[in-house]
Amino acid sequence: MIDLTVQIGSLTLKNPVMTASGTFGYAEEFSDLVDLNEIGAIVTKTVTPKPRPGNPPRRIVELPCGMLNSIGLPNVGIDDFIVEKIPFLQSIDTHIIINVAGTDEQGFAECVSRLEDMPGISGYELNFSCPNVKHGTTFSTDPFIAERVTKSVRRSTKRPVFAKLTPNVTSISEIGIACENGGADAVSAINTLIGMSVNTKTRKPKLATITGGYSGPAIKPVALAKVFELACKLSIPVIAIGGIATAQDALEFMIAGATAFQVGTTNFYEPDATLTIKKDLEFYCQENNIPRLADLIGSIQL
Amino acid sequence: MTLKRLCRSTLENISHVARNTYVLTFRSHFLSHGVSAGQFLEIKVPQCSDILWRRPFSIHNIDPENDLVHVLFHAIGRGTTVLSMLEIGEGVEILGPLGNHFHYDEHLEEAIVVAGGLGIAPFMLMKRELRQRDIKMQLFYGVNSSDHFCALDQFADYATLHLSTDDGSRGYHGVVTDMLIPYLENLSENASKSLFVCGPTPMLRTVQTIAQQYNIAAQVSVETIMACGFGACVGCAVPMKHPVPGKKEYYLACKDGPVFHMHEIVFDD
Repeated sequence: MIDLTVQIGSLTLKNPVMTASGTFGYAEEFSDLVDLNEIGAIVTKTVTPKPRPGNPPRRIVELPCGMLNSIGLPNVGIDDFIVEKIPFLQSIDTHIIINVAGTDEQGFAECVSRLEDMPGISGYELNFSCPNVKHGTTFSTDPFIAERVTKSVRRSTKRPVFAKLTPNVTSISEIGIACENGGADAVSAINTLIGMSVNTKTRKPKLATITGGYSGPAIKPVALAKVFELACKLSIPVIAIGGIATAQDALEFMIAGATAFQVGTTNFYEPDATLTIKKDLEFYCQENNIPRLADLIGSIQL
Repeated sequence: MTLKRLCRSTLENISHVARNTYVLTFRSHFLSHGVSAGQFLEIKVPQCSDILWRRPFSIHNIDPENDLVHVLFHAIGRGTTVLSMLEIGEGVEILGPLGNHFHYDEHLEEAIVVAGGLGIAPFMLMKRELRQRDIKMQLFYGVNSSDHFCALDQFADYATLHLSTDDGSRGYHGVVTDMLIPYLENLSENASKSLFVCGPTPMLRTVQTIAQQYNIAAQVSVETIMACGFGACVGCAVPMKHPVPGKKEYYLACKDGPVFHMHEIVFDD
């Protein structure tokens, strides 16, 4: 029997497979394709204090090995989220991490405070890094602000808090350290890279918002370098995100120092990828006589 | 509604039915039962790891007796070109059924179908459903040129055809909506009739105006780019005609659609 459990702060995950916010809806969308209870942790689509309609179309562009998105955090707002989305999430037998965002410091804390007394929620991920909303990345491009917002959320909750970081900075570890100093229990990295695509017939940008977030297998090497940097510089766990489509991808991140990882864009076209990866991790451990997957974390040979 | 599933199937047949247009047939007991006209499937492009998204296709027709499902598509990009070159017996990975479907009012006596180009795709299954319900079918079908027409013989055994081509090579010389107006003009009453529409955006805009002008109910199947097909990517936003500003301004084609009442949505470029 292979031990797949990993520890993120006070949370014990039955396996390191998580879902990336914005790629797994509120889990219900996947309930007829995936046994949700088997996933290590589910991170929900971002919720904000007020409802958001999202960006105008066109919102997505397919590219070789990747995609651009500019969705713009559409969501029903925290009030309706509690009524419409929470009951189903509570019925799943795994850790539920609510991804929250605000347009200011208070917005993040407000969402967290509203959810704090609800059972069935294991923690929060702070979306410091959406490239597709106004001021979306302000919180994770300025270390001073990142630390301040993390601190204010920290004061609003007893639950674990993860800060989701953007790669669109000169030094991701500088921001990561700020979040650690602010009291984050882990960082998740990376959010999407800013990208663009142009229609050569119309000479217009393909996305309505001109630029968007680039994700998918194409960004894996970039993500891996950022995760490695964070794992070297931070003492809190790093949750890897960025182009993870197979167990081999996931293993690379864990060896480079990630404690857990999130499957993102892959969910769109391989909706059962989370569980395929989990099964393949188990096979890998069996074949290589690794009784405890967590032993691989940070085992990179330099 | 039937829950969606990931199905692995084998290609039973692929036929070149019109210029650049193919019918792909695969075997699936699950998908050939309990699906309705308007619903769609997503097919993975095999052997191309750089093509990520599954390709969405309307269910063109089903043959439940033989567990067969047909999709009709244009080979336009790399993904659909690869699909068009699949060989019989090759494996195909399908996700479906997805989305909602066309509805038939209980008093419906005549379905007036308006199809432009590949917009014909969902209407073969609709023909099957109309025949079962004994509802008449008027098919207004326009294409660029006569070699683009698909399955006219199969439609002709039930529907009354009104054909048009942009180049005049067959039927009315002009756009299909030109033929619709005189037809609606001569109708004695509209209550038991309904429009069912699928095609390019300029055609949809015109039909939307016509439907309003003649006060006739109209349902439309929209086509959008989508990454997932089941509400996770939220990429397939369709602007609402009557939005709640700042709160809800878009439908999702995959989940709220692909079939909408025509008066509910705005047709963007």
